[in-house]
Amino acid sequence: MADHQSQLPRQYHEAVMHWQRHNFPDYPKLPEQWDTYFPKDEAFCLCARIQQNMPEHIEVGDRKGQPKAVAPRELDPKAAEELLAIIRAQASTEFGSIQQHQATLARASDPQDQAWVLRVMAEELRHGYQMIHLLTSADWSPVTDTKPQDMVEEILSMKTGSHVLAAFNLEYDSFVDNIVFAAFIDRVGKYQLTMQKVNAYQPMASSMPPMLREEAFHLAAGVIPMRRWAEAAVKSDALITMPVLQKVVNKWFGRGLEMFGDERGGKTNVRLGLKDKTNRVAQDEYIAECDKMLDDINQRYVRARFPRLSRDEADALYARVKADRGAIDGLSWDDDLLKLPHASFFRRRGESAFQMIGFDGGTFTDVDAYIAHVRDHLPEAYVASVDVKHWAELQRGVARGTVPLEKALSSMPRLARVGGACPCANSVRWVVDVEVSPNGGLGGQETRLSP
Amino acid sequence: MADDVVIRPMTELDLEGITRIDERITRQYRPDVWERRVGYYLRRDADSSQVADVGGKVAGFMMGEVRGGEFGLDEPTGWIEFFGVDPDVRGRDLGRKLIDALLAHFRAQGAHIARTMVATRDEDIAGFLKAMQFTPAPLTALEKRL
Repeated sequence: MADHQSQLPRQYHEAVMHWQRHNFPDYPKLPEQWDTYFPKDEAFCLCARIQQNMPEHIEVGDRKGQPKAVAPRELDPKAAEELLAIIRAQASTEFGSIQQHQATLARASDPQDQAWVLRVMAEELRHGYQMIHLLTSADWSPVTDTKPQDMVEEILSMKTGSHVLAAFNLEYDSFVDNIVFAAFIDRVGKYQLTMQKVNAYQPMASSMPPMLREEAFHLAAGVIPMRRWAEAAVKSDALITMPVLQKVVNKWFGRGLEMFGDERGGKTNVRLGLKDKTNRVAQDEYIAECDKMLDDINQRYVRARFPRLSRDEADALYARVKADRGAIDGLSWDDDLLKLPHASFFRRRGESAFQMIGFDGGTFTDVDAYIAHVRDHLPEAYVASVDVKHWAELQRGVARGTVPLEKALSSMPRLARVGGACPCANSVRWVVDVEVSPNGGLGGQETRLSP
Repeated sequence: MADDVVIRPMTELDLEGITRIDERITRQYRPDVWERRVGYYLRRDADSSQVADVGGKVAGFMMGEVRGGEFGLDEPTGWIEFFGVDPDVRGRDLGRKLIDALLAHFRAQGAHIARTMVATRDEDIAGFLKAMQFTPAPLTALEKRL
């Protein structure tokens, strides 16, 4: 079960640290808080981890049973091309989530929740570091003309608004987003990492188990605060209410579904031995898991609201309210409990993109009525965002035939600050190796971090 | 019916099931206690603690991890710390299956010994551990009321 740890070559390691200083300024607080919130845990290590003793033969697809590739050139060329895209997208998500978390981390109302998210962010940084390790530790020239340093620069220069997947281009409105994101979006991450454990490229497959072990805590860092908030929501002076949580769930769930890719796709990745499930199979499992998560949170709410009921009585009450979608003893499915939106609600990618399906699965024919319906189900601060404005314009255009669906599917809002970030974020090639003098100084030179 | 038993690593979605089993055994509803414990074990080693899943519901759990240096015992030790089985499904060998999975993980983590403590009044648990070939250790548990 041991894993092998390594650091990136200096230029890449320094580039990641440079990125951290600009995008994750709270990172230095982690060691300060470690002993308080994670006593006795092994210290955090910003390093690549490669699991030992992993299967050596391809586990799925056309080449099942053949030895796994240890270099990109040993892969089917199409597989290498797809894998490179997967690694770049994965890296984008890791760095992207840190940028999102950082914006509202300071707004946490509970120091433990904040410390947990801080650890999640550090581990996402390690996951991004792991992906850069995969990009820079092998020769990808058989499938791309882009040099490793350019691939890394491209990843490190992405900001909220220019990432590969929509879920990482949404800004957080409050610390509730930090938590709900961990519960829903990190859960998609768990699915992707689990599917990639079989990857035909050995270094990729061996990267997954250490990441998955960390991801398990990320999910807990989302679900446990949500459970506590649900219990507290029973009180009349609750600040985070169930309707508030519901609207944040509505913001993220559809974006999570879209991270699996189009429901009709994924067969190629299975055939090429890169993943072991198609998009729809994985997405269906994810939906069932999210439904179970909300059941658990709701049951915590019901127990707090009806403390005199026994466990069995409370479970039976919840089951009846859920089955009837009704209200019993003042407990209302619509007003009090968390629900998953219909899988086609507020979708912008995939087979139900822009189809005007409502929260409960009903179909709308009037686009303005649909936009109003979606608006009423989203958090107020998010409704005011450029992301929702952009979606509403596209939705109108698609419904009225003025925007082709294909164009809408690939359209992403450009946030105002994209391109306005620190220019030295693109720093890989500017980190220059300098000779270190025997006394530990830089031999009279500074490491240059500017062009 | 034995076929529908799945032993797998514990996840955060097992919290409600674990709380339910504890409530059935102790007659206390303690979600915050189990959230703290599950959070601890998941962050320490997410592959270690195990649950028995019967027909999609958590019917048993066993939490533990490998640590070294406790009580001057430097060797890596697999510590079994919390476990419970739903009274409705006892007799289906879930305890043995859970402990087998946990011990296998301990071995893979480099531990050559597993340790636990049991209250003298818990005869059922002591009997179970004896059946699992646990023997009294050359250690004495001491305490002092404060």
